[in-house]
Amino acid sequence: MKKYRIRIVMSLVIMILLLVACQSVDTDQPSTTEIARTLQSTTELPPSTPIVETEISARFTISAELSLQSAITALYQAYFPGEAPVFVETNADLAVFTRDTNNGERPEIFPTFLENAIVINQTDSQNAAAFINFAISPEGQKVLIEAGELASTLTLRDQAGNQVQLNQPIERVISSYGPATAFIYSVNAEDRLVSASYLGARDPFGAEVMGKIDPRFPDIMGEEFFTQEDFNIEQAASLDPDLIITSARSTWLETASQLELSLFLFDAENPERLQEAVQLTGKIFGPNPSAYADAWVSYYNAVSSQIEEQTATLSEEQRPRVLFTGTEPLRVASGDMYQTDMINIAGGVSVSEALSGYWNDINLEQVVVWDPDVIIVPPYGGASVEAITESPEWQILDAVKERRVYQMPKLVAPWDTPAPDSVLGIVWLAERLHPDLVDLDCSEEADYFYNTFYQYAIPAVEIARICEFE
Amino acid sequence: MNDLKRSLSKKFLTIIPIILAAALFVFSLTIGRYPIGSYDVLRVLISPFFPSLSMDIPDVAKQLILRVRLPRILGALLVGASMGGTGTALQAIFKNPLVDSNILGVTSGAGFGAAIALLLQSSPWQVQLSAFIFGLTAVLLAFLGSRLYKSTPLLVLTLMGILVGSLFSSLTSLLKYIADPLDTLPAITFWLLGSLTSLTWSNLIILSGMTLLGTFFLWLIRWRLNVLSLGDDEAKTLGINPIQMKLWIIVVTTLMTASAVSVSGVIGWVGLVIPHAGRLLVGPDHKYLMPASIGLGAVFLILIDDIARTLLPGEIPLGVLTGLIGVPLLMVLLRRNRPGW
Repeated sequence: MKKYRIRIVMSLVIMILLLVACQSVDTDQPSTTEIARTLQSTTELPPSTPIVETEISARFTISAELSLQSAITALYQAYFPGEAPVFVETNADLAVFTRDTNNGERPEIFPTFLENAIVINQTDSQNAAAFINFAISPEGQKVLIEAGELASTLTLRDQAGNQVQLNQPIERVISSYGPATAFIYSVNAEDRLVSASYLGARDPFGAEVMGKIDPRFPDIMGEEFFTQEDFNIEQAASLDPDLIITSARSTWLETASQLELSLFLFDAENPERLQEAVQLTGKIFGPNPSAYADAWVSYYNAVSSQIEEQTATLSEEQRPRVLFTGTEPLRVASGDMYQTDMINIAGGVSVSEALSGYWNDINLEQVVVWDPDVIIVPPYGGASVEAITESPEWQILDAVKERRVYQMPKLVAPWDTPAPDSVLGIVWLAERLHPDLVDLDCSEEADYFYNTFYQYAIPAVEIARICEFE
Repeated sequence: MNDLKRSLSKKFLTIIPIILAAALFVFSLTIGRYPIGSYDVLRVLISPFFPSLSMDIPDVAKQLILRVRLPRILGALLVGASMGGTGTALQAIFKNPLVDSNILGVTSGAGFGAAIALLLQSSPWQVQLSAFIFGLTAVLLAFLGSRLYKSTPLLVLTLMGILVGSLFSSLTSLLKYIADPLDTLPAITFWLLGSLTSLTWSNLIILSGMTLLGTFFLWLIRWRLNVLSLGDDEAKTLGINPIQMKLWIIVVTTLMTASAVSVSGVIGWVGLVIPHAGRLLVGPDHKYLMPASIGLGAVFLILIDDIARTLLPGEIPLGVLTGLIGVPLLMVLLRRNRPGW
């Protein structure tokens, strides 16, 4: 009897020791919050206080519309404490004015600190450049909120229909949904990410390019913690996020709502919802990201309407019939999927439009019945053109015999997913479907898109790699 | 005289499923999403011998019949026959009417093998090879495990089969958990539900070799199954080494099941339901039951596959249909038919 008691006591002691050991292991390591914080501080803008110069005369001159002068003054005084801005009529270093930033087919985006109010550096003044960066940063947003120029809270309706109250500015964001991460990058708010799931950054090429687009990528890649299926509460708490952005189809929403985390849900499986999602992302992060979002939407619409105009002469029967396959040749995109919308915008008809749901498994006989003119293979999941063209069974199809099987390209995010990059997927598709009618060039558009929306100076080699077409 | 009559009618009843399978095989060639007339199908079938007969038939239709429908229906026939045969044999040696081909974990093992290959995005033949190897591994593990325990080997083997099966099921769930929900996960799920979509002439070779040899073996030993199902002592008295015989049957059925599962994915219920249907038709005598089960298995799977490939534009997973049809069928059979097992 005694023996057993000793055993029980011993095992209890061991368990307690183990628990203590676990605890101490936890505290030994620098917490992820600290890591994230240090990371953030290294990427932060020049601190506002240490700039101390004896010269009192203004660092640069500003020309500003009267209505914007108070906002600029607030920003200036916050950035250069104890100094006052000098407003001039002409020949200013800095021009501040109101303008719609989202006009034009391939809009150029200017630093936007209030809705429609942009600030442009007209000389090479370093101070002015730093000031602009401050004006559009979350710190600048705070100053503008204090000055009453921006609202301190924002209520937006997310795509699951929830009213979400957002305390501005949103500085620390977790994105557990790959497309949403792409939205955040394309509205130039990636510095607010503390952890994110990515689209298409698993393969070596995607990861390499993503590392070039954002040097923080390896550190904030959080796929082991946050995905649509999985949400690591402990990790989330340690990151102390202002907002968690995810898909409306995430499986852990119930748990998260019980913990009263601030969630924003996206559900963007068609072009309208995608545009709305990007614009909502812009609004979440403030005026400058919003300007990017608007610019992207107008670019998307410009591309769509150009294709529509240039293929207007085609009747419904003349439009190429497209089969969009999945990770396996006999898995096809349904009519509910974004790929079908892309085909329609690019001036084609999806043969599998009548199917519903997600990817559908079909048999070859059905493909023969559809008899597609063109077959498109996605750029992920090991899908390849050869799996179709080298299969003896698939030789029945004219599209295969005549080698009209193409693989959709990708840089990081696949061009066929409902992410901002999909506008290039539409360009690329239209180029394949209507080489004689549509006057759009994948290389040119990719160059514009990645430079503008990802601020990534895409090298010519990469453009050639993604847009090449034999 | 009466006995002769009964045995004649039994022989007749035994042949019915086989004739039915052959007829259904030909009939199935004429149905599909792509409309081809039945006369045209017949002309295409004999076109290798008389090319002039099918000159006017479009090339697409010919290719479709010869390269897509023929291997697939042949595959359905072979897989069905294999499952009916192995189910009957295993039910006999385990003396348990609730046994099917997965009793020793072969299906679960194959499922895991396929899932791991799909996760690594391997080519289709690698998936099949991996499924085959892991199917055999599972049975080997169950067998080695049963050696740990000395007495009542068959019971321990059953237990080990269940354990190994659960182990591989858990591993498969783990892989599904890791798998990318956008690409590999649907592929794994679809494979686990079973489908004959991927059947072509090239992967029919192993399947047909294994199935034909295995089925022939089961047909040869059909009367020994009667003896084995009596019990080990009786079998010994009648001059059969029960341990050795059972071992052979397990090896053969494992090879057959692994090769079937590796091309078709996991198709449940056929191996369980078909022997019961066979008993309803010809009674418990394995001399008749074995061929009847083989024939019925083929008929059942060809039928199920016809529904799977023609009912909707999308392919319906076979595992879903066999379950939906197999479960009520088993219930009805168990309710209405009380022959000696």
